[in-house]
Parts: sequence; C-alpha cells; structure tokens
Amino acid sequence: MLTIFKLYGTGVLHDRNLGQVHFKDSKGNLLKTIEANEGDDLLSIAHEHDIDLEGACEGSVACSTCHVILTPEHYDLLPEPEDDENDMLDMAFGLTDTSRLGCQVQLTRELDGMVATLPSATRNMFVDGKKPTHH
Amino acid sequence: MYDRLWAPHGLVRYGVAPDHPEVKNCTNKFDITAKDPRLRFFGNVNITTPAAASPIPHNLSLPFSSLLKNYTHLLFSSGCTIPTFHPALPPSDRCISALSFVHWYTQHPSVAHKPPPPLEKTEHVSIIGQGNVSLDVARMLLTPPSTLEKYDVPNSVLEVLRRSAVKRVSIIGRRGPLQAAFTVKELREMMNLEDAAMDPVDPALLAVPEGEKLTRQQQRTMQLLQKGSKNQPGTTPKSWSFEFFRSPTHLAPAPEDALSSTRPLSLTLAHTTLSDAKRAVPTGESSTLRTSMVVTALGHHGEPTPWYDSALGHVRTVGGRVVDEHGHTLRNVYASGWAAMGARGVLASTMMDAYAVADTILSDAFPGEFRKEDGDALGSVVPQGDVAKAAEPVLADVVESDDPPAEVEEGLREGVVTDYDGWKLVDAEEVRRGEVTGKERERMGWDEARTFLSQVKSNQ
Repeated sequence: MLTIFKLYGTGVLHDRNLGQVHFKDSKGNLLKTIEANEGDDLLSIAHEHDIDLEGACEGSVACSTCHVILTPEHYDLLPEPEDDENDMLDMAFGLTDTSRLGCQVQLTRELDGMVATLPSATRNMFVDGKKPTHH
Repeated sequence: MYDRLWAPHGLVRYGVAPDHPEVKNCTNKFDITAKDPRLRFFGNVNITTPAAASPIPHNLSLPFSSLLKNYTHLLFSSGCTIPTFHPALPPSDRCISALSFVHWYTQHPSVAHKPPPPLEKTEHVSIIGQGNVSLDVARMLLTPPSTLEKYDVPNSVLEVLRRSAVKRVSIIGRRGPLQAAFTVKELREMMNLEDAAMDPVDPALLAVPEGEKLTRQQQRTMQLLQKGSKNQPGTTPKSWSFEFFRSPTHLAPAPEDALSSTRPLSLTLAHTTLSDAKRAVPTGESSTLRTSMVVTALGHHGEPTPWYDSALGHVRTVGGRVVDEHGHTLRNVYASGWAAMGARGVLASTMMDAYAVADTILSDAFPGEFRKEDGDALGSVVPQGDVAKAAEPVLADVVESDDPPAEVEEGLREGVVTDYDGWKLVDAEEVRRGEVTGKERERMGWDEARTFLSQVKSNQ
C-alpha cells in the first residue's frame, strides 16, 4: 500500500513538470531557463518569469507582438499553425521558417530543451543592474 | 498626455472596427501605465496654432506656446488625422471619406451632431482603395446587424444599419492583387461573410508574372482570391467584388435616372495597367459603374503642426528627433508612430517605434546610463553625435512646477477637461449600460459623459 501511494505521488509531480525552455535574445545570449508546466504556453511563462515578450492582444491571435523563433527540431514537433495564426505571422518582424506566436505554443514533454529566441526588433533594457518591473 | 478626444486610446477606441474587439485588449496595458502617478492624461484639449481650428467644437483650446513654456520635452504622437482625397472625386453627401464613415460607426466626437450616411437610399457602394480600411468599411456594410449588435456598435448606428438598403459593394483599386495593401486576415473575413458572396476574380489577374518572386503575404493573398468566398456567387442576398486596374476619373448623376428618388450615380473608371516601375498607367480605355455612394479610402496624412512637412505628409524626423526645414535637430522635441512615419503600419509596428523613440528620449536625457540586457549601451537609431547641427532650443530648459498650464487646471475643475480617473468611471458605466442589452458596451458621447461625470462628482 505504501509503495503504491509513493509511486502515485511521484507520478503526479513528474507529470506536472515538463522540462525546460530556454529564452534567448536576438544575439543568442541566454536570458533565462524556465521549468515549464503542463498547460503553459510560451507567452504566459515568459510573463511569469519577466521575459520581455510583448502580448498586446493578450493571447487572442489579433497581433504579432509575441512572435518567437524556435529551434527547428522543436518547431517540427508542433502542430501546424492555424490560418488565424499564420495571418498574424505574415506581419511579424524578422519572420523565419521556424517562427510561431508564443501564445499559440503549448508546452508538452517532448519540447523539453526547446529554445525560444526573441526576434531582433524586441527591446530589452534596464538601468544598471535594476530591471523594470514587468506587469 | 494631451488629447483633443475626451476619451483616451485614440484609434483603439475610434478606429478599430467594432467586430475586432480582441485588438482592444491592449487597453489593459494602457490602464496599468496610466496608474503611474507620473503620467497625467488631459482629454478634450486641442493644442492650437494660429492656422487651425479644431474639428471638435467643444474642445478647450490650448495654444502651442503654452506647452513650450510649461514642459522641457515634447513628443508628437498625434497620428495622421486628415484623409487623403481623390483629385477626381470632390467630397459631397454621396462621396465621403472612409474616415468619416469610420467616425460615424465609432461616434467620434467630430461627427456627433452630423447626419449619418443615407444607407436607406443606398443599394450599391463603390469603395476607392484596397487597404484594410476599405475592407473594414465593406465588412460593416455587408455584415448582418444582428451579428454586429453584441459588439461595441452604438445603438444609433445599429438603427441605421438595420434600415440599410446596401446589396452590393465594389472595392476599386488602380493596381492589381499583388499591389493591394490589405492583409490576409481582413481578406479572409470578407471571404467568410455570412450573407454575401464575392464575384470570382478574372483568372488572368491571378496569374503570377514571369520571374516574379512573391512575399509570403502575396502568396497567401493569391491563394485566397483563387479559392473565392465561402458562399457561392448567386446564392446570397448580397455580393461584393474587387475591381482591379481601375482608376476613377469622374462621378456624376446617372443621366437616364436623373429624376429617380434614389438618384443613382455614374462612376467613370479609367482602365490601367502596370508600368515597368509598377505604377498604374492608363490604357486609354474606360467604363462606367452605376453606384449609389462612393467611399474613398486612400490613406491619411498629418495635420499642419509645427515642423510638419507637407511633401512627406508627417512631421519631419530623423531617428525620432524632430528636424526643422533647414535640417537642424530640435533639442528635446520628438515624434513617434504615424505622426513621424506617415499613416502606415498596424499596432505592432507603431508600438515598436514608440519603444524606439522612448529609448532615444531616455538616452538623450541620460547619456550612458542605460544598458541593454546583452551589455550593449542603449542607443538611439541615430546617435546624437552624428546629427549635423542643432537648432535654437524651443522648450524651457528647466520648469519649476509639475502642474499643467492654469487653463487646463481650471478646465479640470469645470469638467471641460477629462482625466484618466474620469475616463475609467465612464468606461465602467458604458460597460454597465451595454450589459442591459447584452453587448460589449453602450458608448456615450461627450454631452452624456460630461453630464454623467458631473453627477458622480456632485454625489461625492
């Protein structure tokens, strides 16, 4: 009985945590490595962890400001973008063959280790050592 | 922040189409920014120069010179508010700018007491221009009012749309599908209209010229045009079409029906083709189109503010810093968005420009103090040292008080000038009134908003 309970306990914890996502700036510098959980999308976890990724329309596929560039092997694992996402990607700055809207990238276990690079037009700045609070 | 509109958010409130509510989610971020006590918003204030009168009669006028005395830095983010007209189509009650149509369905303060477009007498609308504004107008004319009534469409507008006789819309452009300025999202919405079908595009116009490399947007546009509308032509009560390679030359009453109560019009269209430089040039042929109303959607330009360049259609800038007619940079005077770049670009590009100009303002004011996360010094697009010459300063070097000019303070006390807290009260009330009829909000005009706010004040 104890054994079964313990295994179950470990299984629940293990399922929630899906692995790591690495956010990089346009020059390839690592901004942050984040532990992703079930149901997270890239925009939400970026905001939770103070990555400066815009989301002007708050994830409703009405803008292109959460545009990220993914590593090709992870891009290929994702389902194809729908028409509405592709319509917004048409207008994204610095669009690449492995670009997606961050709000539409749902994290799964097989995406462990994925790198999400912010495109070059995104601005990141801070006053010496002090980061502005991200809302 | 000074705005001649009494409500903040500019085009987000008075330009975005009502059936695109998700675009307006950005106002949540504006609200958060507005909570910062260092930001003050003053609405219903028009900054004047001797030349121009305000298009909004109830504005408080504040002379430009007052701003120069009371502030150390100035930023124009005043957009491009004047529609570009077609030289062959002078405005009349049957030939209106798309901007005035958009102002009508958003109840912009400048049209509050003007009559609505006479849609009950209008069967066919010709839209000149093939950008997103054209498609917004077409979509508002062709979407059933019952579909629109849950969105932020004022009741008075819905009443006119319910009486509308519009059955057909022609969207006319002087060049072809590869040069059209609309984006795929808006084109797709037209194809999916419930009650309307698109006339198929002539296949010859959908053939890609030899050796031409299409952008991603152009490819997807051609695919959509080829596929056609969800509804088959001839199966719906309404229809619409693109008329490519057509340029209007004349609009007159249709001769044979001069006495008809609906007063049909005849629009003469010159046929065009593309020159080697991809400009529209006439072929010599022409045709006429029978129509009831013409709407021109040909872009916008800025107002003649100081340092406006009429050849450019916007304020003259280099890297966000305003430049005078001699090419001299003005110290601490900036412009961003459409005011600086002309009326091009959606929210994302205007936002990026705003961030770039903010970076420039900060790095000019505090040189060397800001760094980017990757360690690079924060710079402006054009380093200040590269600027050839500086003009005489126009703004005060130092300003003692943080307060706005006295007439603005008085305006606030009298309820003529609005602030952000007042807007949030009106915002909540508009949403509350909308809930009564199951819609996003029921908009107030200035008179109603002012009355509402004075009642709230007197109840305190």
